Amino acid sequence: MAERRPSRPLEEALRQRRVLVVCGAGGVGKTTTAAAVALQAAFWGRRVLACTIDPSRRLATSLGLTQLSEKPRRLALERLGFEARGTLHAMTLDTKRTFDALVERFAPSEAARGRILDNRFYRQVSDALAGTHEYMAMEKLLELQDDERFDLVVLDTPPTRHALDFLEAPDRLLSFLDTGILRFFLKPYFVAGRLTLRIATRTGALAFSMVDKYLGLRFLQDLSEFFLAFEGLYAGFKERAAQVFELLRDPGSGFVLVASPARLSLDEALYFHRRLVEKKMPFVGLVVNRLHPDPAAGARRGGTPPRLEPAFAEKLVAVHRDLRTLARAERRGLARLEVDTGMAPLLVPELESDVHDLRGLAEVAAAIFGTAPVKLRRRVS
Amino acid sequence: MIVERLLQRRLVILSGKGGVGKSTVGAALALIAAEQGRRTLLLEVDAPLEAARYLEAPPSGPEPVEVRPNLFTANLDPRGVMDEYVRHAVRIELLARRILESPIYDRFFSSAPGLKELMLLGKVMILEEEASGFARRPRWDLIVLDAPATGHGLSFLRVPLVASQAIPVGPVGTNARRILKLLRNPKKTALVLVAIPEEMAVVEARFFHTLAVDELGLDCAGVVLNAAYERRFSDAEEAQVLRLTRDGASGRLARDVELDSALLAARRHIRRRKLSRFYEGRLRRGLKEPLVTLPFLYAERFGLAEIRTLAERLAAA
Repeated sequence: MAERRPSRPLEEALRQRRVLVVCGAGGVGKTTTAAAVALQAAFWGRRVLACTIDPSRRLATSLGLTQLSEKPRRLALERLGFEARGTLHAMTLDTKRTFDALVERFAPSEAARGRILDNRFYRQVSDALAGTHEYMAMEKLLELQDDERFDLVVLDTPPTRHALDFLEAPDRLLSFLDTGILRFFLKPYFVAGRLTLRIATRTGALAFSMVDKYLGLRFLQDLSEFFLAFEGLYAGFKERAAQVFELLRDPGSGFVLVASPARLSLDEALYFHRRLVEKKMPFVGLVVNRLHPDPAAGARRGGTPPRLEPAFAEKLVAVHRDLRTLARAERRGLARLEVDTGMAPLLVPELESDVHDLRGLAEVAAAIFGTAPVKLRRRVS
Repeated sequence: MIVERLLQRRLVILSGKGGVGKSTVGAALALIAAEQGRRTLLLEVDAPLEAARYLEAPPSGPEPVEVRPNLFTANLDPRGVMDEYVRHAVRIELLARRILESPIYDRFFSSAPGLKELMLLGKVMILEEEASGFARRPRWDLIVLDAPATGHGLSFLRVPLVASQAIPVGPVGTNARRILKLLRNPKKTALVLVAIPEEMAVVEARFFHTLAVDELGLDCAGVVLNAAYERRFSDAEEAQVLRLTRDGASGRLARDVELDSALLAARRHIRRRKLSRFYEGRLRRGLKEPLVTLPFLYAERFGLAEIRTLAERLAAA
């Protein structure tokens, strides 16, 4: 039956592909899942880089590290008692620095580069620009892809309210940086160096006067300098963005969806799956984390129990009922999902303790792939 | 005690990692306030599923709707807030419509950095300042803001600071400074951090606390540890659960309940209870803020009964 295992596409991706993108809404265990599958790939002999954009150090936490930096850091799997044939590196993305690097690469001249990097507006917003994190994550992905130290990059996407934002944010950023609009919008005023109301349409003039009135001229000046300085970069940016989309759609890439077994989360996973299919992105699996155990599964039936205090017996019955209610509701939701998508989700049961070290990650991986946990040579405290 | 402190403010901002139950905590707090006779607005931002459903009311949309006596909910839509701003600024409906329909507006305003956040917080400020009646009494006694999850929540709250530095002059800069002033006024605004007993939620709460309090200057009024497992069994009973498990006890305990299944459920509960206590200690020591623990509720779906349970616990803390 090995052929029919639902984890097969994901396993195949981890063994052979070059890029794995892990997406999901916040709070579903996305980072843990990304780290667990990255670890599993290292066990299988790949040279893996796990990359996160998270400002809140989740990946570091789940790898049992206190810090992660922009520089890939190798995890000493052997020293921790794991037998891995491959390697695992982890890093976090510094959005601002990636942006700076991009500017440096595409700036048409030294002067233009200086103008952008020194622009007050750029300094303030390069990190806060809507979509920047997602765009930079993709940018970094391109760069890492060429890094010879790694043959698989596992990307933990930024936490978003909607899992889809990750794919759409770069589009939004690019449309904001779009030359046409901004030139139209700003250039007539500042290229001339003085304020003239020379603008193509009345609406444009009106929109501009609004921006002027409510954002203030000084701000507009900064903004226009920023975009004028950026002008030479648009082409490069766009080209990179196109390359990223090509990379993501490539059969050498894979998308993993992560959800929690709560009904709302499953509904969202279903929706996201549909969108991935629409966008022709190579989907390789849906991981559902922290499934509550059904206490009644595998119970021995019948017989007379030992004598118990009635109050104690009542508490036992109550705790059993509560857990079973929850577990069954989750299973109903999963069954529905399977019918709707025609795919079996990869289930990770709730583990005895919270996952925040390599041992826990190995357990998660074992649950996903239905394998025995990777052997530990000795106990890790 | 925490609740008393919160009810003296005008604006309570809830923040925490995604999935920690900010909206249920927010609904519980709003319910307490409303039942004490305060006109309360439970405000969400672009929530895919609204908190109103916990109060067993239909989705309210961007306009405040009274879902229970004194309790209003609204789910702000960033685009709607921006359009409203344009209408307000332009005043002439025909011109406003031309702007709103223009592709330039559409693309510029939908992706301009931080503008969305600034507009939303501006709207919160306007709601806070709104007054009604002859006495010009504030329209809202309390606004409970369910902020976007911390991943985004921080950049959300950070925008006024960034904007007030980036835009020294003009109305937007002025507004950013006004918003910042409101957020930093401890008489008016309080931040409540929400976490659950899990490593990442706790780590993130601490991280967020440092940034919100030290960097942005918000006043943190307390921390809520949500979905904590509470003691159900006495020490002696817990020991008995383990003993019975070790002895491989079985038998039919009640209709549809086998003893070994019940022991499994009990052991899990005990384990989770211990973890909950561990993380409670971590939060208490790490944050040094007043802490309230709310119970994990075994409910398939949250409704008014569950929110009421949480509210009672919150009020008693």
